[in-house]
Order: sequence, then structure tokens, then C-alpha cells
Amino acid sequence: MRRTASPLVTLLALILIAAPGGQAPETGSVTGRVKLTTRLRGTALPSTAYPTRAIGTHDNQAISEIRNVVVYLKDVAYRGALAPTTAELRQEHETFLPHVLAVTRGSTVDFPNDDPIFHNVFSLSSAASFDLRRYPRGQSRSWQFPKAGIVKIYCHIHSHMSATILVLDHPYFIIPQTDGAFELPNIPPGEYTVVGWHERVGERRASVRVERGRAASVELSLPVEDPK
Amino acid sequence: MTAMLSGRRPPRLVVKTLAVTFMTVFVLLAVVFVVVTFSVREQVRQAVTTSLESSQRMFAALEARRQRELVAQAGTLAENPTLKAALDTYQTEARTGNSAVKAQLLATIDSELTKVAARVEADAIVLVDMRQNTLAAAGRLGDRWPRGQPVALAADRDGGSFDGIARTNNETFRVVAVPLDFSDGTTVGMLYLATSLDANYAQELAQLAGTRTAIISDGLLLASTLAPEAAREFEAAVAATRPAEGTMSLAGESHAYRRLVAVGDTVFYALGSIDESSLSAMRQSMRNLAFIAIGAIVLALVGSITLARLVAEPIGQLSGAIARMAATRDVTLPLPSGGSSREVDALIETFSALMASLAQAEAETEAAYTGAIRALAAALDARDPYTAGHSERVSVLSVAIGRRLSLPPGDLEVLRLGALLHDIGKIGVPDDVLRKPGPLTDEEFDTIKQHPVLGARILRSVPFLARHIVIVELHHERPDGRGYPNGLRGNEIPLAARIVHVADAYDAITSARAYRRARPSGDALRELWRCAGTEFHAEIVGALATALPGVTSDSAHAHALESVSHA
Repeated sequence: MRRTASPLVTLLALILIAAPGGQAPETGSVTGRVKLTTRLRGTALPSTAYPTRAIGTHDNQAISEIRNVVVYLKDVAYRGALAPTTAELRQEHETFLPHVLAVTRGSTVDFPNDDPIFHNVFSLSSAASFDLRRYPRGQSRSWQFPKAGIVKIYCHIHSHMSATILVLDHPYFIIPQTDGAFELPNIPPGEYTVVGWHERVGERRASVRVERGRAASVELSLPVEDPK
Repeated sequence: MTAMLSGRRPPRLVVKTLAVTFMTVFVLLAVVFVVVTFSVREQVRQAVTTSLESSQRMFAALEARRQRELVAQAGTLAENPTLKAALDTYQTEARTGNSAVKAQLLATIDSELTKVAARVEADAIVLVDMRQNTLAAAGRLGDRWPRGQPVALAADRDGGSFDGIARTNNETFRVVAVPLDFSDGTTVGMLYLATSLDANYAQELAQLAGTRTAIISDGLLLASTLAPEAAREFEAAVAATRPAEGTMSLAGESHAYRRLVAVGDTVFYALGSIDESSLSAMRQSMRNLAFIAIGAIVLALVGSITLARLVAEPIGQLSGAIARMAATRDVTLPLPSGGSSREVDALIETFSALMASLAQAEAETEAAYTGAIRALAAALDARDPYTAGHSERVSVLSVAIGRRLSLPPGDLEVLRLGALLHDIGKIGVPDDVLRKPGPLTDEEFDTIKQHPVLGARILRSVPFLARHIVIVELHHERPDGRGYPNGLRGNEIPLAARIVHVADAYDAITSARAYRRARPSGDALRELWRCAGTEFHAEIVGALATALPGVTSDSAHAHALESVSHA
């Protein structure tokens, strides 16, 4: 993991050093691109011999794997107040949509059931451990996440359903566009570690120096196979 | 002939036929035994091979179904939402490292796994994480899978199968593995249903396959239902090459073996003992053979006895008839009618013809002898005109007396010839003594008295006349013992001699002599009666008296004699 990261970091540093200076506002930003590379190492697991339970014809796979990546700054001491937001994690065609969600600490996530069947939402994670019970179509339950961390969400009825909510205690995070491009604005100048997170590979880091009024560019490479 | 010469009697015919048939039967049985032994062994070898083959097919089908069911079962178990959630969350939390939460998650996993383990037959149910380490295990042999130990699954050749072999703590497990995954394609771990490849498994396998089994893994014998020695030999012979099938000798017994199924580096063998199987088959065919043998022996016994009797009986009858013929010296006795076989009939026929010609030759010889003797007697009688026809008449009279006394025909025949020859010894008496008209001197009378002994000596040279000698020799003996030559008394004198004595005296009295005239029959009888008991036997004289009226008459003496001789 680190072996692949190190040359990348060196390269990025060289690019940043070479970047021309300019007029600067209070803050800078980090822009870049996340690339999904094929898995380089690890054991290839056998494909399933037993077909997984039939799931609706809904084209879940149309959502790019890149949308399951979260880019954020690592270990930022954010002193400002975090505006509580409300996000939505729908249950549709026996799938949580979106599969990965990133919210600030204190935010509330609604879990509306759009399927014609009962669903359940529960989590065993240390950041948030809860069970929202079963509820039918049209209903929605909510949960507030007062603690930062990775919260894995499951449905007790449908074991193949899973989702991840990243609860962050700062606003410097983004889910990249489908082409991998991202921008983290309004970052105070300083040295940061940019993280590209994916549930299957965890964090991929890159160091970045944010300068006033400038956009530091970073490229993150995640060894995740895109089904498409 | 040789047997008789060597002093041993040849065996009976039935013994010979028995010997020949039994020899045949035994040779036949021996050949059948050898053929049956070989064919049974070959058949059993094929049967064992075929049964192993069908066992393999059946086992393969059962095994495939069993594996499918296990995979299905494992797949269902792998959909346990709590287990999956706990595992996934645990692996996520592992990075952040909240130990209390991790412990709680592990406890959840353990508890779920234990619940799951209670629902499956597997020896162990194991949860393997994404780094291929054991995370949790439950079940009877769950303790063989300590947490954190790396697991390597030697999968079958086709990588798509979840059938594999895993080793842990010196124990080998057969594993059905299913992934724990989510619908977005994320796999969070594997669930193993592990079955220990131990003696129990070999036993189960043996019951399933209906044969003996052996499990060879990575060049070593894991378990088997063979005897320890045979198992060791099998391991040494098979472990390295893992052949698909064949036969080999294990612990001195011939075995056929066949690969049931191979998973990774592990091979399951089915074995069948050819010797053991052929033993019962052999016993069965030996029993059948014994029945056949008993039947054959009984048949041979009956057959040879029947055969022997078929041959021996007519021959025995024939030889009995011939023996009777020899004993009675009567070649005209009837021979058995035959009809049993052409050969015996031919024998009887030939023998009959031989006997007939023999009888004819004998008759001819006898006739020739008789003729010669009669001529001799006639010649003797002709020496003295007074005694002409004497021998012939004595012969006729003697036969008449013998017939009165109910003598058998053979004795009558002897009597007839004997009487004819009774004075043959007078050949040796000189003519002047014999034909002397006057009274004889003592010396001359002694010469006359020599004639019975002389006659006997003459006849002794002719074997055919052996029975007639006594008549010639003793026809001058008297009941009072004053006769000659031996002076025998009463019953010591043979009957034929007594008869001839009386007949001789009667003819002498009724014939003329040079010195006297012929006297009538009545005088002669009176004279004989007078001397009955001393010179003559009374019963003979009596028999003569009753026989005479049919024998003689004064007028036609010769004619009467002729008629008697033809009677």
C-alpha cells in the first residue's frame, strides 16, 4: 500500500513546488482526480458458485464505482461550527442508494423505504450502533450521527444490502465526479494529507501543501476494480 | 493266463469297470476343478472391478449431489445478515482499532457462527477473513481452527469449484467454501464448511461407496478402512503416483482399487479384496462341484456295475453251464440262450458248435472204440465155438438187469461196454487151456483165474475205458469173499461187477460146452437162486429173474436178445 503511494507522493510534491504563485484569497483548495486501477495484489477470490439472491432489474451498476470513493483531508483540526445537514440513504431495489455517503458530524440521515417490501436498517459500528427496526414502503426512519467514524449500514432482512456512511468532523470531503475529478475548496493554507477512501481498500493518502488562493493539485490512485 | 501263472487271480470284471469309470470321473472332475477355480477367480476379479466401477459412478453422483447440497447449505448460511454485518463491520473497525467494539463484534460473530454450526453437519464451520486468516470457528472440531491462523485452500483443478482441502494443526479437512458478499460485489470473507478427513469420514465413505476406502493426501495416508498392514502397503504403493485404478497385493491379499474422487492433492480410493470375494464364490462353486462329483460318482458306480453285470452275467451263466458240462462230462447239456449281446451270442454259438463237434468226435471215437472192442470180444468168443456170442449176450443181459435196477443211462452204457469186454483178459490164456474139453488142473485153473487182472491191465492203456475196468477186473468176485482176484466181500464189489457176474454165470449155464449140453433158463435160474447170497448177489439174481421173460425164450434166444438190445 505504502510502496505504491510513496513515488506518487514524490511526484505530486515536485508538481506543487513547480507551480507558479499568484494572487491569493484567504484560503486555497485541493483539486485532483481519483483513478481506479485494477487490483495489483491480493488473492483472487473465486466467483460465487451459488447465485446471490435475485435483485431487481434496476441498474445499480450504472452508478460508477468512483462514486463509492470519498476524498477527504486526514486529521484536520477544524475549529468552526459544523452545520448539521440532512442526507438521504434510500432503500430501492434491495439496495442502499447511494452506497457510500459522507456527512459531517451531527448530521441526520433519512432512510426512506422505496421498495414494496419491508426493510430494516441497522449498524454495529463503533461510531454509531443502532437498529431502526422494520418498516414498510413509504415510511422513513432517521438517525443522527454525533460521532465521527465509519458507519456500516445493513438491512437485517436482506443480507446482501450494505452501505457505508463516513461521518467526518470537518467539512473537507467530497465524493468525486464520475470522471474522478474533485475539488476541496476553502482550505486554510498548510500541509495536509489527502485521503482517497474506498471501503474495499481503505485509505490511499497523498501529501499536499495548500497555499493561499491556489489550487493544489493531487492525483489519487485506488486499486479498485470498476465493474464497468 | 499270466495272472494264473503268477499265482494271482485276475480281478473281477466289476472291479475293472469301476476302476476305469472312476478314473474317468476323477480326471473329468480334476479338469472341471481347475477350470472352475481359474474362471471363478477371473470372474470375481472382474466382478470386483465392475463393482468398484459402479461404486465409483454411484459415489461420484452421490458426492456431487452432497457437495451441491453442502454448497447450497453454505450459501444459505452465508446469507446470515448479522454474521455478514458483524464481519464487515469488524474488518472496517480493525483499521480504526476500537478494541471494545471489536471484541463485541467478535463475540457477535462467534455467537452467530455457533448458531449456524448447530444447523449443519460439518465438523467445523469456519469464518475466514479477507486476508485468508481464520477469524472464527465453531462446531465439533472448531477448536482446530485458531483465530488468526492463515488458511490455504488447496482447491480442485477447476478453480470455479468451492470444493477444496485445507490443513490446520496436522489435521486435514475437506472444505466447501462460500463467499460472504454484498450485492455491490464486495466480498467480506469466506465461510468454510469443513469435514475432517479422519477414520470416521473413511468409515462413512466406505458405507456410502459400499467398499473399503482409503484417503491419500499429499503423499500420506490420512485414513482408511483397511487393515493397518494393508493400509501401509497401499500408502507406499499409491501415494506418489495416485493411479486411477488397478490391482495390487496388499498384506498378501489381491485387491482391486479405483480412484473415487480427487480433490486438490487429496484422493479418495475405493478398494475391494478379490481374494475375500472369491473365497465365498469359490466355496459356492466348490459346493456345487461336490454335488456334481457325488452325482458323477454315484452314476459311475451304477453305470459300471450295470455294465459289469451286463457283460459278466451272460459270461457267468455261460461259464456256469460249461462248468456243469465239465462236471457231468455231458457236452449235450443246454447252454444259456444268450440274447444279451451279439458278442456273447457269437461266443455261445461258437462254443455250442465246438461242443457239438466235440460230442460228435467223441461219439465217433466211442463208436470206433466200441466197434473195435466188439470186434475184439467177438474174436475172443470165436476162439471157442462154445462161447461164440457169449460176450454180446452177457452185455445184453447185464444192460437188462441194470435197467431193472433203474441205473442211469450213463451207467447202463458203461455196463454194456464193460460186459462186452468182461472176458478180454482171456486173450492172454492159451488156447489149449481155454479150449480143453476135460477138467482143468489146478495150474490150468490158476491160469484161467488170471484173466480179470489181465483184462484190467489191457484196458488201463485206454483212458476212455477207465470206468469199465472194475467190471472187467471184478466180475468174478463173490459176496462170500471166495471170488477172485481180490476176494472182495458183499458190498465191496461194485454193482456193475455183480451184475456182469450173474449175467456171465447165467449165459454159461444156458450155453452148451464141449463137455455138457446147454441147460434151460429155468434150470439156470434155479442154479443161480441156489447160489444166491454165497456166489451171487440175491438182488441181482432177482433182477435177472424179472428181466428174463423179456430177454430170452427157448425157441428164439438170439432174437429175444436182439430185441432187448434195441429196447
